[in-house]
Amino acid sequence: MSAGKTVDIELKDIAYSYGPIEALRGVSLSLGAGATGLLGPNGAGKSTLLRILLGFLEPDSGEGRVLGYDIRFERDDIRRRVGYMPEDDCLLPGMDAVTFTSYLGELAGMPRQEAMKRAHDVLFYVGLGEARYRFLETYSAGMKQRLKLAQALVHDPPLLFLDEPTANLDPRGRTDILELIADIAAKKDIRVLISSHILSDIESVCSQAVILNKGRVAALGRLADLRQPNFNLFEMRVKGGSGKFLKDLTGLGCRVEETEDGLLRVFMPVGLDRKKVFRLAAEDRTQIRHFLPSRTSLEDLFAQSVGVEG
Amino acid sequence: MTPVIQTRKLSKWYGNILGLSEVSLEIGPGITGLLGPNGAGKSTLMKLLTGQLKPSLGRVLLAGEGVWNNPALFRRIGYCPEHDSFYEDTTGRQFLDGLLRLHGFGAAEAARRTESALRLVEIWGDENRLIRGYSRGMRQRLKVAQALAHDPEILILDEPLNGLDPLGKRKIIRLIKELKAGNRTILVSSHVLPEVEALTRDIRLLHQGKIIAAGDIHDIRDLIDAHPHVVALRCDRPRKLAARLMEEPHVLKVHFGPDGLLTLETDNRDLFFGGLPALVVELDLEIEEITSPDDNLQAVFDYLVGK
Amino acid sequence: MSIREKGYHRWDGRLEERRRGWKPIARLGIRLAFKRKHFKFAFSLSFLPAFVFLAGIYLSERLQDFEGIVRKGAMPLRVVPGYFLSYLTADFVLFMTVVLLIFCAAGLVADDLKHNALQLYFARPLAKRDYVLGKAAVVMFFVLLLTLVPGLLLVVFKIVFSGSFGLLRDHPGLPLAIVVYSAAAAVFFASYSLLLSSLSRNRRTASFLIFGIYVFSDMLAEILRGIFRTPYVGLVSVKTNLKLAAAPLFGTKPVLEVPSVYAFVVLAAVVAAGAWVMNRRIRGVTIIK
Repeated sequence: MSAGKTVDIELKDIAYSYGPIEALRGVSLSLGAGATGLLGPNGAGKSTLLRILLGFLEPDSGEGRVLGYDIRFERDDIRRRVGYMPEDDCLLPGMDAVTFTSYLGELAGMPRQEAMKRAHDVLFYVGLGEARYRFLETYSAGMKQRLKLAQALVHDPPLLFLDEPTANLDPRGRTDILELIADIAAKKDIRVLISSHILSDIESVCSQAVILNKGRVAALGRLADLRQPNFNLFEMRVKGGSGKFLKDLTGLGCRVEETEDGLLRVFMPVGLDRKKVFRLAAEDRTQIRHFLPSRTSLEDLFAQSVGVEG
Repeated sequence: MTPVIQTRKLSKWYGNILGLSEVSLEIGPGITGLLGPNGAGKSTLMKLLTGQLKPSLGRVLLAGEGVWNNPALFRRIGYCPEHDSFYEDTTGRQFLDGLLRLHGFGAAEAARRTESALRLVEIWGDENRLIRGYSRGMRQRLKVAQALAHDPEILILDEPLNGLDPLGKRKIIRLIKELKAGNRTILVSSHVLPEVEALTRDIRLLHQGKIIAAGDIHDIRDLIDAHPHVVALRCDRPRKLAARLMEEPHVLKVHFGPDGLLTLETDNRDLFFGGLPALVVELDLEIEEITSPDDNLQAVFDYLVGK
Repeated sequence: MSIREKGYHRWDGRLEERRRGWKPIARLGIRLAFKRKHFKFAFSLSFLPAFVFLAGIYLSERLQDFEGIVRKGAMPLRVVPGYFLSYLTADFVLFMTVVLLIFCAAGLVADDLKHNALQLYFARPLAKRDYVLGKAAVVMFFVLLLTLVPGLLLVVFKIVFSGSFGLLRDHPGLPLAIVVYSAAAAVFFASYSLLLSSLSRNRRTASFLIFGIYVFSDMLAEILRGIFRTPYVGLVSVKTNLKLAAAPLFGTKPVLEVPSVYAFVVLAAVVAAGAWVMNRRIRGVTIIK
């Protein structure tokens, strides 16, 4: 299979209503390799979309294919190849993690002994190796989150749906889970679709993003393209010097704004040689500690896409 | 001026389980972030500060007065609990109105404050729906509304951004920042570090029941000597620059990333950045970006709490 | 030489395409039942009647050995189809079946509802009927273990002890009656307990309902009989319905003067209600959040 070119999720005009409430009103998108962030305000239709992709819901209209299988008629083929990590806490009481994980592997169609073997592997992978014989009821929130990831991985699906994977985690748990997801997404024939409210999480692991708003696709594309750097606007942080530096910058034709937490936003005129800025700093003994062409932040992009002023 | 929130050797045990251990804090007006891993004692501290728990040892002083068993003080405190606790079969309006009446406001005043608080968090419009039918974001906003409806000067907000979508977060962050203007003292806990950074640079880091860092994020970072500072540079001739920098004794490590990113470690940022502009001019380099990947809250947290 | 790098590793096995998804569900349900506290005790206790009836068969064949002990004129024990029926519908056997249901069935659906586990099941290639069948199979396993297995074994022992096939010659339909009754009872108890288990998100509530409805329906029937003096109120009782429905299968006189068909209708209604409620509860969770 040639990775990168295949389209893994393709939807055309998907619409879905819960009674009078229109959750999705014509969603068309196609997603390929890598990790994709699924963003949107509450009620934008993210969960509905995931449920449709899994075949929990049948769209009112429109068609779609996941990994080449029709979402209406080939649900079992899709579910066999998808790992789903639900948003809410879920487990089966009265058993340990190995039983739980291998059981769900078996339900996905793994032979029994294979499921058992693989359960140990994925539990070690998500960092539950030590705790794998403990009863699930005794697990902490962070461990339950890892367990949900383990059960999504057990049958080694080529496509993962992760719904709010870092919800309710503390900063350490969050970075751990994100590192795991990034590691999985780096495998070239595994695709990951992550729905999240935490934009910095999406920024750290996803290469592309879909923003839903009011049941429609508001933005779609590679994060790098969506967030084109603006080479006329630089963010800077400086330290020391006599303050002459800022004045001199204005002298070069730059417009300088300072935000409340000390970040300088410097609008440079077209064609200005950036070296001149460093020359000024050297003359004034000013340290330039931060120098970055400004990009639209994902948050700004999000706000633009869902139609709210910054 | 005495700090608004002050604790002295505050400790709390639940049976033999440690909640807090000898926490001495001073928090002044403005926004302060309270961080820590799960079980570090954040919620315990917040409950002690709001007088819901009795300290095992030590004292809590709010505006100079002891908070335990001091109901007169409670009117000056607003508290947003981490977990939902609503009367599900009341409407948002009845809920808030009832709480305000409990604070001792008259019917007309309570109604007025209910409306203005619900408008502030944009629940006005759904105020007559039962709380049972509220979305997670609305519940969160209602909790914030009840914390500030009686216009307290001290706000203790436990995970106020949890469960909100990015827009909801943005609004609440803006709201909290506006509240700061009224010379209020606001203590906010959160697990999402970039959100804390968007709110404030002044933090208290709790770990294993103790305060392990207090102050401005960047100042705290400078105090962590065990980890040299990391600087990332992108320029047209990284190896040329690196060759010169390696002569400097304060440069400890040089690393070339796969995408042309030059990463350096230095134990003296002032010397490093002081010399950099001259070097750029001398070598005639085209600098594209300079960043400090570990000068942020995540790095501070990881270094101090340990991964 | 080789190293195994850290990080995510692929699994190189193949998933089975055609398979019966209910099997792992049933297997796990049975395993978990045995892990519950006191289950093994209750389980062993429920086989007590089978041994008593076995002893009865033995005695009936060796009655002459005990003539000194047995009082003159005592009715000799006759092993006819009614004997097997009275084992299958013995109060104690039915009671122990319900007790076992508390262990093995109460949490079957209630736990899944409580812990949001349905979405884990249905994110896998599993049809709703696989799920229901798997859960029902757990109940059926235990019910059949208490009805079908001892029932047929008693027939075998009767033949062994008497040394002849006389029983089968006189009553050729007996094994079939045992099979049909056991199967019907298994289907009924599966529907009954899954219905009650899926009504609640709490295992305890479900246990209470399973046990309570069985016991109280019986008590209620007794009370009503005292008031209305008609045998038809017996149809309120779960136990009586089972006994009524079983009688024609074994060609014995029903316990009450009520046509068996009514009992069949009541039992079938419970099965239908079970199917309907399960269908709704499972739909409710996977579809609407």
